[in-house]
Amino acid sequence: MSISTLFENYSEFRHRHPDGDVPHNPYKWAMAIDLDACSGCNACSVACYAENNLPVVGKEKFAHGQAMHWMRIERYWDQDGREFPDRGARYLPMLCQQCEAAPCETVCPVGATNHTPDGLNSQIYNRCIGSRYCSSNCPYKVRYFNWYDYPTTDNVWPAEMNMQLNPDVTVRSKGVMEKCTFCIQRIRGAEIDAKTQGRLVRDDGELQTACQQACPTSAISFGNLVDPESKVHKQWRAQQVDLDKHEQVKDEEEGGTDLRGYRIYEFLAPYPSIMYLERVRESEI
Amino acid sequence: MHSFLRLSFLLLEFFVAGISYATDAPQSDPADPGVEGSAIDKAAKEKSDGGGSAFSAWESKYFASDPDNVGPAVKQPIEFPHFRHAGDHDKGGMEINCMYCHTYARRSLVAGIPPVQKCIGCHQSIDSVRDKPRIKKLFAYWDAKKAIPWKKVHDLPDFVRFSHERHIQRFIFQLNRPVQEVCGYCHGDVKTMTVARRQKLLSMGFCVTCHEINHPVTAPGGTPIGNQAYWYGMRKPVIGASGILKAQGPNDCSVCHK
Amino acid sequence: MLKSDFDRRDFLKVLGWGGTAVALTGCGNGMVESGKETVVSYVETSDYMIPSISVYFNSTCAQCDAGCSITGRIREGRVLKLEGNPESAINRGKTCGLGQAGVQNHYNPDRIRAPLLRTGDSGEAITWEKAYALIDEKLKGVSGNEVAFLTGGMSGHLKVLLGNYMDSIGSKNHFAYEAIGPAVVRAANKKSYGVEMPRFNISKARVVLSFGADFLGAWVSPVNFSQQYAQFRKGAGGHQRGVLVQVESKMTITGANADRWLVVRPGTEGILALGIINALGAHGVKMSGDIAAAVKGYDKDRVSKDTGVSGEQIEKIVVLLKERTPSLVLAGSAAEGYAHGSQNAAAINLLNQVLGNVGKTVEAAAVVPFPQMAPATGNTAALKALNDGLSAGKYKVLFSYGANPVFTSPAAMKFKDNMAKAGFKVVFAQYLDETALQADLVLPLDSALEDWGTQVPEYMAEGAQINIQQPLMEKLHADTRGMGNILLALVKQRRAAEYKPFDDYYGYLRAAVLQNKAALGGAHQADNDIFWNETLSKGIIKLDGAQHASLSVKSGAAGLSLPEPSAIDAQYPLQLIPSVNASLRDGRNTNQPWLQESPDPLTTIVWDSWVEIHPKKAAELGIVEGDIVEVSSKSGSLKVQAYIFPGIHPDAISIPLGRGHEAMGRYAKGYGVNPFQILDMVYDKETGELALHETRVKISKTGERVIVVKDEGPVGGNQEGQKIVPLMATDKANLSKEI
Repeated sequence: MSISTLFENYSEFRHRHPDGDVPHNPYKWAMAIDLDACSGCNACSVACYAENNLPVVGKEKFAHGQAMHWMRIERYWDQDGREFPDRGARYLPMLCQQCEAAPCETVCPVGATNHTPDGLNSQIYNRCIGSRYCSSNCPYKVRYFNWYDYPTTDNVWPAEMNMQLNPDVTVRSKGVMEKCTFCIQRIRGAEIDAKTQGRLVRDDGELQTACQQACPTSAISFGNLVDPESKVHKQWRAQQVDLDKHEQVKDEEEGGTDLRGYRIYEFLAPYPSIMYLERVRESEI
Repeated sequence: MHSFLRLSFLLLEFFVAGISYATDAPQSDPADPGVEGSAIDKAAKEKSDGGGSAFSAWESKYFASDPDNVGPAVKQPIEFPHFRHAGDHDKGGMEINCMYCHTYARRSLVAGIPPVQKCIGCHQSIDSVRDKPRIKKLFAYWDAKKAIPWKKVHDLPDFVRFSHERHIQRFIFQLNRPVQEVCGYCHGDVKTMTVARRQKLLSMGFCVTCHEINHPVTAPGGTPIGNQAYWYGMRKPVIGASGILKAQGPNDCSVCHK
Repeated sequence: MLKSDFDRRDFLKVLGWGGTAVALTGCGNGMVESGKETVVSYVETSDYMIPSISVYFNSTCAQCDAGCSITGRIREGRVLKLEGNPESAINRGKTCGLGQAGVQNHYNPDRIRAPLLRTGDSGEAITWEKAYALIDEKLKGVSGNEVAFLTGGMSGHLKVLLGNYMDSIGSKNHFAYEAIGPAVVRAANKKSYGVEMPRFNISKARVVLSFGADFLGAWVSPVNFSQQYAQFRKGAGGHQRGVLVQVESKMTITGANADRWLVVRPGTEGILALGIINALGAHGVKMSGDIAAAVKGYDKDRVSKDTGVSGEQIEKIVVLLKERTPSLVLAGSAAEGYAHGSQNAAAINLLNQVLGNVGKTVEAAAVVPFPQMAPATGNTAALKALNDGLSAGKYKVLFSYGANPVFTSPAAMKFKDNMAKAGFKVVFAQYLDETALQADLVLPLDSALEDWGTQVPEYMAEGAQINIQQPLMEKLHADTRGMGNILLALVKQRRAAEYKPFDDYYGYLRAAVLQNKAALGGAHQADNDIFWNETLSKGIIKLDGAQHASLSVKSGAAGLSLPEPSAIDAQYPLQLIPSVNASLRDGRNTNQPWLQESPDPLTTIVWDSWVEIHPKKAAELGIVEGDIVEVSSKSGSLKVQAYIFPGIHPDAISIPLGRGHEAMGRYAKGYGVNPFQILDMVYDKETGELALHETRVKISKTGERVIVVKDEGPVGGNQEGQKIVPLMATDKANLSKEI
């Protein structure tokens, strides 16, 4: 939204979740991540570094919690006191959940983070003043702050390494909050192509996020949730997860209780746009 | 939690309403069915005439001094005469289409500077000017197989994604407007210049002025113009007095900011 | 994706100027500076080159030897990102994190930029002409037997060219060395199945029982296996979801994804395999008499006592294996790393045979019909042979390419000292790594994204294929050379007439491919140029009609003799497991910062090494997380931070390989420790391979403590009662309705 409309018509742009007034049309970008397929290999995370100009902060700053991995793999252990984790570990790729009622958006004093009509939680880097309220308010802790001016920091992008930077993505400077936006540069690129050709973005791999494209187990699907033919839409439907509910009422008669789909921290009602599928373990071994 | 979010949301709106630097571009009358090209020029003109509070001090300073040339005069390796190539016939120009040389504009984010090869393509068979100093310089680059180090005249910050393709597709190919007029929205009257000089602000306010003008998206009777069937990122279309459906340009931050 | 009707070489020439100019623009974080920056422009362009529009070229990933096909995204003459090439049967459009970091190998600031000749302790930059002349001079008066050429695993035309060069100097001393390759398993497979590397059909199996094969991490062809794993979990072809059981002493990423992870006493994997065969027999599974005889002594009680796996658990596995067929049993690096590694692997392979998996989930792979291009896989026995020769002063000239033995050999081997005995040492390298620092002449290589090549992957997925490697952009540094060009120049010193037609390695490759056009699927295409351009455009030569190797199943039961689990050594009570991380492997990729900062999947530690200790053992020794401990073996010791890790046998500790560089570059040097250095020189009895898991160590606190730099929070992987990653048991789940 432009600056003039931002303050005047803010409520029009703030989509709590799709309702009659502001339906997502024609796009609502969403994800489904199958945790039973995810092996925790970190390929998605490295692909994100490559695509989105993420700085490598080095050991010391990593120790200070200043790592800039928009996509991180969380690893959990079972907590039942067994001597060995003989059911393996549990992995979770954690990235911005692109909440429909995002806690981060409401607290930004300058409107640098706001909702797009296609259901993304955008971050406008040149508008950000670095108050970091958004990060404080994010339940998933997926916003990353530039404590340093990485482009001029030694050994972050030394000569030649800077030639790898993606010109479609801004290189953020000191004092700016940054986050995953479902590879918005790829989304906008695909939308521009589709618009010029007078069609919608197709669900055939025309548009993939960097993490999805790399994922060796194809655990990540990404697409247009309002397109009934898209894989993501079908997955959400099959799992009986609705974008605009914060308590999913799964239909028991139709086997709702043995469905794996869930969203993290749903009870906080941020209406996240990523559905996870529960990890599965064999009961007979 | 839910109600807390709503509360903070309300608080924000209160906060927003309380500050005064929210500005507004001059509204063009949505019902005005006038020729669109001139409407844009009019709005831009209103702005450049110092249309009030929309301007920062920085912008006003530039306008006050020289409203037609807001950019610096850039010294180019060859003083390229745009007026000779693109100017009107009656003024000694050849009226070459902008996109003949800036060939990438219709399919890329950038308009592109033509490769030396392109210049040579014509000039190798124009003997009459072969011994002019500028042409000699050109051939010197060609013979050395060196690209000409042109300086950027129209530059946008690195956090802005501007697509020449979309603008050209929309105004030239869908709305059938003259090429020089369309390019001139942002580049000014290049056909009268030698080397180009920035004439427009190219600030965010400048972009938004245009995007807030309603463009017709249907011909009278509701037939869509061009093949643009979707209006993603645009304001809801309004029906003008003549029954022409109109919409504004994209107005979501993330369309232009990367 | 790419039009094939243009000349690739012109493309590279044309981009020369733009390639460097663009680096200055478009990606800085500066503000508008009209009239200051130079705009991208070219002398000549082709139609497909449009500023701001990416073009894509296919090539082959060289970060490991799996041979995944990649597609490079190139904009304004720079390669920006690598994606998988969907046409490849190996990776089908996917990449791993290691592959993604390939661009950092290419743009690395620590690459060597000119040939360096040793003068005292420093290197002096010289010209290539001088370097070649020097090699020629040093080879004069030296017999072929006195020249040794060390390489990593090699295949394709580079291998052919190297063979011809070795031939031309009359040397047979080519040593192919891989520090962590599955050499023992290859040999065991050859015995059990008749081929070294069969195809493993994980996706068709309903149960996978893996003995330390980290197929989701660093084993053989992880991207291919990961995709198969996903299908296996989804239950392809109307099957139930596949079940994975992982048996190992230190949890790998594959173990972390298992339905049941079984910790075994280190080295007893083979005993467990025989115990399972024995129990299968008790459940009525038919097997030949010699097998039954071989496993006779391995009853459940004994096996349980030896391995630490409960009889109940063995029973469950046996029931599962019997009920759900076909299954697949894998022998991996954890099983092979012992003095009896070959026996372990043979016992595990025997299990596949008993279960009738051979021919179903263990299949013969297709074979590229050019044996001279087939991969020369590396092993550690080769390094030992070279080291023995160097030690005896047998070699006067040593070449080294694609290996870093000074870093990856045990200190007890004294490779560095022995290397010094060779009069003239030439190292071909991208970085001044530990081995290059010992050289007399260092020749800088092109990166894999600048060089031409062909590769025949060792592990073939469906069908046979030859991978094409081609430059994705103009060379970054004027004075680096591709290995192919170097070898061609060297072989021309000896056989000028024969190689005269080839100006460079590109010309050699092109001629070699066109010469065999019909065999390479180009019979229909009369025009050589079109065929060549099509081949480059695809980046893969698929050999549809290729023959499959045939499996010949032999029961290895007769020769099986597994030792009793070794008693605990009082002085060195712990077993050291040097673990292989999917990103850092043997340390060749450590100077790529994305990989340094990519958390280890098990411990989430970055930028440093650690030693994993089971909580029980740690409590016994009074060690807590962050304690700097001294780990000592008979062969050496090192100091490293402790990490308390539940996924390890209490009598074992584990330190990851790949870190601890003393050279190589700014992102590698000085981070972590190198466990290769303290390995005991114990070898597998049959193959002579270095037994990586046979080192016994003791551990003591130094009194220092640091904060471990890791990605997991202070709660260390506890969900604190939140529903973050819930777990559903299969009897509660209904996967049939899923999309």
